[in-house]
Amino acid sequence: MAQRKELIKSSIDSLLLCVIEQQPMYGYEIIRELKRRSEGYFEFKEGTLYPALHRLENANLVAGKWELLTNGRQRRYYHITAQGRARLEDERNRWLNFLKAMNLIIQPVTP
Amino acid sequence: MTPVLSQYLEALKDNLRLDPAEELDVINELETHIEDRVQELKQTGLTEEEATHTCLRLLGSARVIARQIYEAHSQRHWKQAILAATPHLVYGVLFALNWWQYIGWGTVMLMVVLSIVLYGLWRGKPSSVFPWLGYTLLPVAVAGILLLYLPRGWYWIAVPVYMFLASWWVYSIIEQTIRTDWLFSSLMLLPVPIVTGWILAIKPWTGNVPAIFGRIYDFAPAIALSFLALALTIVAFLRIRQRWLRATLLILSGLLTLTMIAYYTQGRMSSPAFSILVLAMLGLFLVPAFLERRIRKGSRKFAESVVSE
Repeated sequence: MAQRKELIKSSIDSLLLCVIEQQPMYGYEIIRELKRRSEGYFEFKEGTLYPALHRLENANLVAGKWELLTNGRQRRYYHITAQGRARLEDERNRWLNFLKAMNLIIQPVTP
Repeated sequence: MTPVLSQYLEALKDNLRLDPAEELDVINELETHIEDRVQELKQTGLTEEEATHTCLRLLGSARVIARQIYEAHSQRHWKQAILAATPHLVYGVLFALNWWQYIGWGTVMLMVVLSIVLYGLWRGKPSSVFPWLGYTLLPVAVAGILLLYLPRGWYWIAVPVYMFLASWWVYSIIEQTIRTDWLFSSLMLLPVPIVTGWILAIKPWTGNVPAIFGRIYDFAPAIALSFLALALTIVAFLRIRQRWLRATLLILSGLLTLTMIAYYTQGRMSSPAFSILVLAMLGLFLVPAFLERRIRKGSRKFAESVVSE
């Protein structure tokens, strides 16, 4: 469990950028989407999400925008920026190369 | 809104210490999150109170979230940091090039400072305006020095009036900055002991005007250096994320600059004067923290009394 937490912590920026890559989302929606897409593996501590989103926003990787809903309420949707897409592309390539190399080594050797 | 939720949001607000517009955004965003989550939990059969408790437990400590969001926002862009340091840099240039003796330059600088302060107040007091706000204390210091040249009879009448008006002005400026973050208030007040140190070293109350100007002329390069130190402190302060590092930076910068003044003025500032200045610097650093506590305690009591009515 602690290892999983560490893994999430170190990959949080990439995970968040991945989730909002296709469409803008609001905070709670991001948490649900992460849980759904990872089949329950990534269960975020809710309080850690907003500091991470604000850090990404300050680094110009995402942009938060208030949108008015039909019921009159407002929600803050996070959009990925061009800079965010470029960062995600770099991170994705790095991960895929890392996974490929790990798979080559970690698989049991067949005699 | 349940009392536990309003307490949670209050704790969040108390610890965010961001610009008012940013603070409002964060509070509204988390409030929307809580509303969504409570709604979802109520559908599982929980009461409003149970759902709120569960939701807040899942969110975690308000203080920790506020500190992490503060650290995400606290680092200002280089452009903002340099804008904030500009008044100190300009005063540094005034002394480095010995333009301080031309009253025209001083007046232009004062007008620029006042215009930027008014613009900053109109734009909701962004953090880059706080060092500029400190310079509105300059006319107060100049008026204080001019009091020294009043005839004796007038002196005893003018001093209490001056003290009252100066304290009121200083308090209202501090109060303005404390509402965002007491550390900004301490940053704004940092030049006060340094400028006082230079006044004590130059001793404008002894000798005639050419002698006083001569002393300022001698110390001008070191005065320029102390303004440069203040400018660098502001840039570093606005680029650092952690509060404890910011506080340490302010204390170290104040101590080093005062020591530099004592070194360059070669004994013109006595040891007791130096010690009093160091204590005053530490006092000015802590007074905003103390005032913030009092103001927040007062507004919390007021809010509680309104709720209980």
